[in-house]
Amino acid sequence: MLSVLAARPALRVAVIATYILLVEWSRALISTAPRAAMGALVLGGLALVLAGVGWPFDRLGIGRSRLAFRILGGLALAVVLLIPAAARASSAPILPAFLAAPAIVVSIGEEIAFRGALYAALEDLGGAPVAIIGSTALWTAAHALSHPPEFLFAVCAAGLLLALWRWACKDLVGPIIGHVLADLAL
Amino acid sequence: MRRIWLIAAAASAYLLAAWMVAPGFYDGFAPQQPYNWVCPPVHVTSNLAPSSGHVEIKVIGGVSDAASAYTDDGQVVIGFLPGAFDATGKTVITVDIKPVSPCPKPPGITFATNAYQVTWDAPLVKSATLVTRYSDVIPAPSNLYYATSADGSWESVPVQSQAQPFTIDAVVNKFGYYAAGYPSNSVAHSSSNSQLLPIAIAVLIVGVLVAGVPLAIMRRRGKTDDREADDSDA
Repeated sequence: MLSVLAARPALRVAVIATYILLVEWSRALISTAPRAAMGALVLGGLALVLAGVGWPFDRLGIGRSRLAFRILGGLALAVVLLIPAAARASSAPILPAFLAAPAIVVSIGEEIAFRGALYAALEDLGGAPVAIIGSTALWTAAHALSHPPEFLFAVCAAGLLLALWRWACKDLVGPIIGHVLADLAL
Repeated sequence: MRRIWLIAAAASAYLLAAWMVAPGFYDGFAPQQPYNWVCPPVHVTSNLAPSSGHVEIKVIGGVSDAASAYTDDGQVVIGFLPGAFDATGKTVITVDIKPVSPCPKPPGITFATNAYQVTWDAPLVKSATLVTRYSDVIPAPSNLYYATSADGSWESVPVQSQAQPFTIDAVVNKFGYYAAGYPSNSVAHSSSNSQLLPIAIAVLIVGVLVAGVPLAIMRRRGKTDDREADDSDA
């Protein structure tokens, strides 16, 4: 099975994309049920991390080279993601403390799934442009059930920014740090 | 260089898109719909009037049916077990939930939700579960309060663990007035919370700039050293 997937990039993309979408949509639906939010978020985040299993770390964009640059990039991405909320702090949502751990798991899982495994699979299929556009499109679709429609432009733009960073810097550490900080703040 | 410009363009596009919808990017932990206020906080610019709720619970064989009463906007839900009411002589039991206007302002308490008047027309013999949703743009309430009249004395009701994000749950056995909130002497954290994010972002910006300059100099110096090493090798 794995050898078939390795030999057929299009099939691999389809399998990874379907898996990620199913996990994200299930998480969004289940987390609305009473007493299910924390469990759904943590399990959903861990299931997303599984999408990265089998990929070498460097293909996912994870590594310790240029670590200071990666961390600094992550902080810069967090600044960009949070500026609109910070500028209107009085209307920014306040994340309840008990959702902090699930927020960390989900944001790491989403980065490994979208900008890690899916990006790498799409890059194998059609190069960087396909990887950037494809991962952004699926990221937006994955958030369709958890966000009101008017928020999807911002979600799409955030996905595009993180995917471009992934491409330009060959780095996933920065997007992970930026995403975690943004989720913790909101 | 082209890559930097593309990232800058994407960052600008994000800022524009996020500016059009407060608060911008978040990962779906916030409630799907905004809270409808009787008395909106000063920073809430758009607001819809909160809804009332009404349910008629059937009495079958002298036992009241299991039922839920809820406001049309879902901000308050009360669940009743079978036989929750003493239904003697009744065929239907009516439960009403109404947002209270004007907003009660009891001393020593800051309400984080609307106050709701909950009434039913038969004695309650089994406790009911009251779930109150609250807004994500203000600090979460820590208590549920109860009063027999809106301008009377409000007392704290023990709350249960949260079943869903942005809700506060309690077991109730009396009709009257309910609202979620917190003691006013802890209200200082609301203003400090709302200021925390801009301060954190300002610190992050300074941190990125302060750490970024030496990093850029080191990278440039590293490239120059490499070039000089290449030249001397040649």
